[in-house]
Amino acid sequence: MNDAPVVSALDLQREYRMGGEIVHAVRGVTLDVMRGDYVAIVGPSGCGKSTLLNLLGGIDRPNAGTVSIDGARIDRMNDREATRFRLTRVGFVFQRFYLMPALTAIENIELPMAEAKVPSVQRVQRARELLAYVGLEVRRDHRPAQLSGGEQQRVAIARALANKPTLLLADEPTGELDARTGAEMIELLGQVNGDGTTIVVVTHDEELAKAAWRVVHMRDGVIVDDRRRAS
Amino acid sequence: MLVALLAAALLQQIDSSPPTRPPRTIAIDERLAADRSIRLGDRLVVSGTSRGVGDTVVVSAFMRRQPDPSEVARAQYRVRMHLDQLQSLINYGDRVDRFAVATRDALTDTAIAAINAAAFGFRAHRSRDIVVETSRTFLVVSRFHRAIGVITIVASAIFLLCIMLLKVDERRRDVAALRLMGVSARSIVRSVMIEAALVAFIGSGAGVAIGWTAAQLINWHYRGVYRTPLAFAAVTPSIIALAVSLSVVLGLAAGFLAAQRLVRVPALELLTGRHEERVFAQPSS
Amino acid sequence: MVLRLAWATLTRNRTRTLLAILGVAVSAAMLLDMVMLSSGMRASFKDLLLSRGFQFRLVLKGTLPFDTDATIADASDITRRLESLADVDAVSPVLGGQLHVDLGDRAIVAMALGGVAAAQGDYEVLDGRAPSSENELVASDAFFTATGKRLGDTLSAGAGYDPQLRLFSGRRVFTLVGRAHFLYLSEGQRAVALPLATLQAMQGERSHDRVSFFMLRARSGANGDSVRDRIAPAVPSLFVVSTEIAMRQVDERLSYFRQLAFILGSVSLAVGFLLVTTLVTVSVNERLGEIVVLRALGVARIRIVQQIVLEGSAIMIAGAIAGLGLGLLTARYLNSILASFPGLPASIDFFLFQPSDAWTALGLLVGAGVLAGIYPSWRGASQPIAPTLREEAVG
Repeated sequence: MNDAPVVSALDLQREYRMGGEIVHAVRGVTLDVMRGDYVAIVGPSGCGKSTLLNLLGGIDRPNAGTVSIDGARIDRMNDREATRFRLTRVGFVFQRFYLMPALTAIENIELPMAEAKVPSVQRVQRARELLAYVGLEVRRDHRPAQLSGGEQQRVAIARALANKPTLLLADEPTGELDARTGAEMIELLGQVNGDGTTIVVVTHDEELAKAAWRVVHMRDGVIVDDRRRAS
Repeated sequence: MLVALLAAALLQQIDSSPPTRPPRTIAIDERLAADRSIRLGDRLVVSGTSRGVGDTVVVSAFMRRQPDPSEVARAQYRVRMHLDQLQSLINYGDRVDRFAVATRDALTDTAIAAINAAAFGFRAHRSRDIVVETSRTFLVVSRFHRAIGVITIVASAIFLLCIMLLKVDERRRDVAALRLMGVSARSIVRSVMIEAALVAFIGSGAGVAIGWTAAQLINWHYRGVYRTPLAFAAVTPSIIALAVSLSVVLGLAAGFLAAQRLVRVPALELLTGRHEERVFAQPSS
Repeated sequence: MVLRLAWATLTRNRTRTLLAILGVAVSAAMLLDMVMLSSGMRASFKDLLLSRGFQFRLVLKGTLPFDTDATIADASDITRRLESLADVDAVSPVLGGQLHVDLGDRAIVAMALGGVAAAQGDYEVLDGRAPSSENELVASDAFFTATGKRLGDTLSAGAGYDPQLRLFSGRRVFTLVGRAHFLYLSEGQRAVALPLATLQAMQGERSHDRVSFFMLRARSGANGDSVRDRIAPAVPSLFVVSTEIAMRQVDERLSYFRQLAFILGSVSLAVGFLLVTTLVTVSVNERLGEIVVLRALGVARIRIVQQIVLEGSAIMIAGAIAGLGLGLLTARYLNSILASFPGLPASIDFFLFQPSDAWTALGLLVGAGVLAGIYPSWRGASQPIAPTLREEAVG
């Protein structure tokens, strides 16, 4: 791992209105994630961990504070710039998979590459490679409705890796999976990190948290503990 | 036609020299009066040809066109004058185009038979039969409107079905949850149909209001354009009843079809979006 | 990929998509019909006026052909003056009247057109020949049907009928030499054409050297305006009705249908627009989660808008194509209803298909489809990502 952090968040604040009340989801969070890191953000429900993840990924804007990815200030970017940035530098994996139900597995993986104007031949080639990487070559032409939860999440991970992002952000990636499938997912994420991708996951899953190199505990919008696992 | 000929040849001259005998009276089209600023009591000269010698007449009345659809688009003016004066002006002699005969209702048929038997070369007809014949324009337009109406109803029915399908589809998760709770498919279909009927009823009420307003606007506009008392559009109680009942029936049918489509799908499949009969050919890796 | 996504979305819910296309097809059919109606009558009437090549009609001032019983005096002198004008190819004097046909036990009345067979523009001979001698006539199908006569038969007819004396004035025996299609007659009208001199003679002194109007044909390539400018001073007592003036009169008479066409066409377009906009809105609402995820993945807002607008436009285009066939069918049906419109030539088509009409209707629909999709798609693509994901997770 080199010395410059991939992600650098400084004194992040985020609040939003919910049913007439103002919720302070993130209150002054400062966090650096080094290249190649595998960070798990844990904490009770409503502690602000998903909000923090969204801020780090540029899909939400902080009320105060700064966020940089590879030196680029994403909190200053306008919507178009942030979108473009996410396309090529950040991969997202969601709890509910959010695959396009009308597309096949391979088409779902091709989607971000198509947006990045990758030529068709290269796109298909890379999509096949990623499907093989996640062990779903035979499911290439299946639609999400024809895949199990675990298989859908694998496709989602493959999709997130399509444009070779600097950073992979995963929000409760095992949240909708059974224990066995969850374990397989944890193994896959470990493999992805081992191949060089920096990962930040938000999770309730203890097993997933254990698999990470570093665990950041949050409570009430602030980081209360940040420990690196002994190698 | 002769009257029209006369109208076409009508000269607007105010005769200032004192006539040798009192001028006779004439009734003119109110549109002619408005267009040429003719007032009651004005004197005009009428003749049968554009260069012929004419008679001086006094305007004693204005007449309004009949609400006759076949006359609507004609811009011709009409005048009414004394029969013998017109016959004289156009050298018609002691001839007329037709007679109008008033009879007591029960004796009409007898009168027609007697006239047709006695007269030479012309026939008597009931006014009603003449009206039917001269209303052909109206009948054609009426048929045309009816055809447009049918097409519109078909389009509306399809539109309604589409909307109901969309609205019911939107709530499939709610429907699934109800089904899983134990609410019967029948109850759901009934509920959707009631909703569809209500929407159709309220919608048709709004439609009647819009239709009535549109009819007023249409009549106001075309009466002005054609200067006629003819009513071009009329929203009658029977039309309202037909529109509302048709809407409600279509709404019920659309709601039924849309709801049936939804309740046929197993509740769990509605909720998850996954077909229940999927088969995994191989174990997960 | 935008195309692929749009297609995949449309085919995901086939019933809904097909129903929407059907709805648009009916709207499109109506719109096409109304576009045809608004321009068809004009085009059809203009074709009719020029079908025999006569660009001008000369009538008494303040009248239109056959609007009145009034006639024009000194017809032969006027004909000579007109024929002597430069660029005048043919002059056709026409006298209108009635023919009372004696069938023994009954009499029927037919419209009579007196003209010069060599230069006439009122009928086309379908069978037999045009009248070449004074006691010959051609007749319409309705006349043959009403009289029960056939080509070559003779009949007795007069120009007038005196009911007191039961006498036909100007009575003659005619031979039916031809069956003709009378261009300007309404459907089912009985009509005959005979030599002008014959009809004038039959009508007696009141019609001596008189006609109802003249038709005039300019030489090919002649400038219409300059021909008209030469005619007017040559016959100052008459009104020169050019094709344009005649069209204006027709426009006035049939303005109701054009206005109706405009109103119904607009309503059809609005209905199609509403249908697509509702469909797109519901579709977007259903897929809000997918849409914001696409945004999270880095798909640009404009790409998402393009995809959704494409879906709406695809429905419109498919509906428009389906509506084309349906529209032609309904136009034929509606035309058959209006063909029996009294007082108008049966040859006129109210619904005349011109390719430009189809393009106009298609263009309007595609435009409406694009507009229908823009607002809901933009709204959907502009949803804030994080809050929407949160709501979708809760939902």
